Amino acid sequence: MNRLRHLPTLRIRPEDEISIHFRGKIYKGVAGDTIATLLFANGIRIFSRSLKYHRPRGLYSLEGECSNTFMQVDGIPNVCTEKTLARSGMIVKAQNVVGSPEYDLMGFMDKLSWTMPAGFYYWLFHKPAAIWPLAIKQIRKAAGIGNLSPSFEMKGRYDENYLNADVCIIGGGPAGMCAALAASEHDLRVILLESRPWLGGFFDYRSADYTEDLALYERARALANQVEQTSSVRVFKHTSMIGAYNNNLITAFQQGTENDNFTERYIEIRAESVVVATGCIERPLLFENNEKPGVMQVACAHRLARTHGLMVGMAAVFSIGHDLGLEAAIDLHDLGLNVLCVADVRENGQESKLIAKLQERKIPILKGWVAEKAHGGKCLNGVTLTKIAETQKQKFNCDTLVASAGLTPLTGPLALAGATLAYDDHTGFFLPDKLPNKIYTAGRMLGLSDAFAIETSGELAGLRAAADCGTSLKHEIDAAEKELHALPGPVKGSQFVTATRGGKKTFVCFDEDTTLKHINQALELGFDGPELIKRFTSGGTGPGQGGIPGHNLPLYVRQLQDADNKTVKPTNVRPPLASTFLATYAGGGHVMSKHTPVHSSQVKAGGKMERIGVWYRARRFSEDKSAREEIVNVRNNVGLLDASSLGKFRIHGPDALNALQRVYVGDMSKMAPGKVKYTAMCNEDGCIIDDGVVIQDGKNDYYFTTSTNRAGKTVEWIRYHTRYDGWDFHLINLTDAFGVINLAGPNARKVLQKITDADISNDVFPFTGCQELMIESTIPVRAMRLGFVGELSYELHVSSSFMQAVWDLLKENGEEFGIMNFGLEAQNCLRMEKGHLIIGSESEQRTTLHDVGLGHLWFQQKPEAKTVGAFALKETETQKGRLKLVGIKMDDSSRTPKEGSIIVDEKIRGYVCTARYSNSVAESIGMALVEDHLSIPGTHLKIFEDNLGDQRLSATVVTMPFYDPEGKRMKI
Amino acid sequence: MSLTITCPICGKRNGYEFRYGGEDKEKRPEEDMFTSRAWCSYVHMNKSVAGTQKEWWCHKDGCGAWFAIYRDTTTNLEVSDPNEDGSKAKA
Repeated sequence: MNRLRHLPTLRIRPEDEISIHFRGKIYKGVAGDTIATLLFANGIRIFSRSLKYHRPRGLYSLEGECSNTFMQVDGIPNVCTEKTLARSGMIVKAQNVVGSPEYDLMGFMDKLSWTMPAGFYYWLFHKPAAIWPLAIKQIRKAAGIGNLSPSFEMKGRYDENYLNADVCIIGGGPAGMCAALAASEHDLRVILLESRPWLGGFFDYRSADYTEDLALYERARALANQVEQTSSVRVFKHTSMIGAYNNNLITAFQQGTENDNFTERYIEIRAESVVVATGCIERPLLFENNEKPGVMQVACAHRLARTHGLMVGMAAVFSIGHDLGLEAAIDLHDLGLNVLCVADVRENGQESKLIAKLQERKIPILKGWVAEKAHGGKCLNGVTLTKIAETQKQKFNCDTLVASAGLTPLTGPLALAGATLAYDDHTGFFLPDKLPNKIYTAGRMLGLSDAFAIETSGELAGLRAAADCGTSLKHEIDAAEKELHALPGPVKGSQFVTATRGGKKTFVCFDEDTTLKHINQALELGFDGPELIKRFTSGGTGPGQGGIPGHNLPLYVRQLQDADNKTVKPTNVRPPLASTFLATYAGGGHVMSKHTPVHSSQVKAGGKMERIGVWYRARRFSEDKSAREEIVNVRNNVGLLDASSLGKFRIHGPDALNALQRVYVGDMSKMAPGKVKYTAMCNEDGCIIDDGVVIQDGKNDYYFTTSTNRAGKTVEWIRYHTRYDGWDFHLINLTDAFGVINLAGPNARKVLQKITDADISNDVFPFTGCQELMIESTIPVRAMRLGFVGELSYELHVSSSFMQAVWDLLKENGEEFGIMNFGLEAQNCLRMEKGHLIIGSESEQRTTLHDVGLGHLWFQQKPEAKTVGAFALKETETQKGRLKLVGIKMDDSSRTPKEGSIIVDEKIRGYVCTARYSNSVAESIGMALVEDHLSIPGTHLKIFEDNLGDQRLSATVVTMPFYDPEGKRMKI
Repeated sequence: MSLTITCPICGKRNGYEFRYGGEDKEKRPEEDMFTSRAWCSYVHMNKSVAGTQKEWWCHKDGCGAWFAIYRDTTTNLEVSDPNEDGSKAKA
């Protein structure tokens, strides 16, 4: 198609060619084209088939108010192609067709429309019951639009922005831009959202006069320039507002351009005040076949020419109800369109200059006339016009019918913000009767038509919004009000007409194929309000969210019911106002994780890294899932484990001891110097949530550790449980500041002694001891003798920056003693052999301190501190029927149960927490939580596992530890 | 989250930054005074008022402080202390 290449209003770059794939062919367009306009330029008129009747649908509005141009793009269904910019290489497919949009094998459905009255699914879809198994499949196939392949993977980058602003302006047309400029003059941060890829709104494509020597589009571009150069105004183009919540929280999404590093971006703006200047869309004209390809709205035809350089057709009839229609007819005539006739719903009230221009061009104008029926097969070839309330008719042969009943404001954002809407007699709009706090409206949506009035209303709204941010602007606001008052006010809206009775193919909702006839049927059945009729006919429930039917549905109901204007309300809208990818809501999916200071050396050593909470840790260092070699080496030689994820804290200050007494079950006032104290934390229910060691460094100065899982919550926990006391203490999370190496095995001392001069003999540094050591006389480390894995071991707490050095020294010096890395799998098996528990593995939410056999840690005489959980522990200590932690030995040592397997007799009696084949004791052993009456050693347990039929695994309760019961090995 | 919370240290911030700590139930009572049922109620039962309630929040992604605010549960907006002056929304 020949483009109108030299219009100054164009938003395309004709020199920049792009191409997309459609129906196995390559279609060429130019940069700036949307997918739909690119296809239109290539002669495509039918983009899809409608939901129920499979009627051909074409370009209608360019604003995305209906699903007419929804297509599958690069595997993504339901892409609104009239709003999505085309990019080279896109693969576009038609939806809801069997065959092609032009030759759809389901096209016969249109002839069967009589079988589908309003709410037909409620009538039809229940009997006979016998056909349902078959019918469901067919209905599923036919229902809905778009297909998503189960294996489809969403590509792209999805960004998130969380912004603060003083004033947020929704709509970058003349009113919105003036509001932004007015607010920005008062030192405020302004955010402006515009859904098109450029600012300018309905000025942008019009060549009509703004002043005698300035066209509207020139004015729009001048304003846009000014706005974009104002540093305090942040402009988001190609950004659709999707939600409004209380506290003036506005959500939106932005479509990325080729120059952006994101595909779509979710934006959340917290604004002090909001200006809604979203303008108007056109109210669809209701007549027979009003959605036939070839019928389109005024702005669609006008913008196709002025913005995209595409002429809508050869010969056109206009049936309009607003001066913008007259203006478009004149402009398109001047650009070469053969305008056969302009029918105007209004008998009078037209701008006289426009009438004169039409007469100059010898375009016949029919006042009080309207389209009654569109003719043609798949596409339009003619139209019958009729005089309103009379029988006169005229038929025209044409390929384009530009049809619009008038304007309707885009009140979605206001409705979401909580405004209630009421019918306004003068404009014929549903307008807010009361605006929510700190929200203002401006521009065309108020019914204004005069360019100066629109701009001034924007300025006024901008000033009012600015005043909400704490600036006194009374003088400025008064002046703007006065100025606006002197300008032309809201124009009278066109009357609501429906030329035909019956309305079998007069569509109120394009998405759901809802016709006037359906609404009549619903009314006859007693559904009397628009909201009920919406539900029953499904009109307005489609992806356009009432864009097309939002205004016509309540108006039509009102006309039929002859109801009082004020009682009819438009149907509700809900977020998101525009279709958004779920991927955009999901956001970037940032993987927030931490690496320990020796992460890279773990990876280099072949560590199989796993995410444990926020950390990456090595599970094992070989392909052997049981990590046997690592286990045997710790038992016989020496191993080292990176345990840096352990929570590490310092607490100091006058009330540090009080705070520890509060959260720990033990008596923290009795700490031996140079010794660690093992203790536990419970919640208010007495259930164990953490265990760790505490060291006293000085008076009211302690160092303590928590499990990896609790590291992030401990400060919060301690402060929460002391919140009423006003205690004075400092709590410092040192988890990231220090790394931890667990050096364990009978050779551990030999290795450590090689790199320190300190006396670390068993006499000087015994089990449960704690010492500050100097490594190679330079690196201070805090060493503790603990026995989690059941061997002689040193837990070395090393400043993160020295971690790698100490690790490497140990590896180097340990070589002669057979030192090897070990990972979490080996540790898990080693500690299980010792009967040492891991909170969360051998406990769950209901497991108390006593249940896991740690009741001895509880010091009951601490009335002052009121230990968290102590009251409940008194109750649960002797409570019957609790699950108790026991050791189990499998009767068949070759058969280890799966973790989590349940222990059963005629009922469920417990479950297996951890189970492994233990090389050290040559048995399959584990730990389980079982009902107390089964916890006596020697009890036989039956374990259920899937796929065993009636068979059960059998185990016996045994005492723990399994390995080295006297604990000699960790004390050597 | 449309809720904003005024941290006594960091000021008015986005609700995402905070962790809810439950209704204010006043200082831990003396344990000796309690039956197990009464203790259980203190720990677990809530008033769940429709209206203004005093409640605890932790500025977990900020200073880490625990503090109490008043919130209107029907509008989900922070309000000022109703005991001090009416119940006007905080600026």
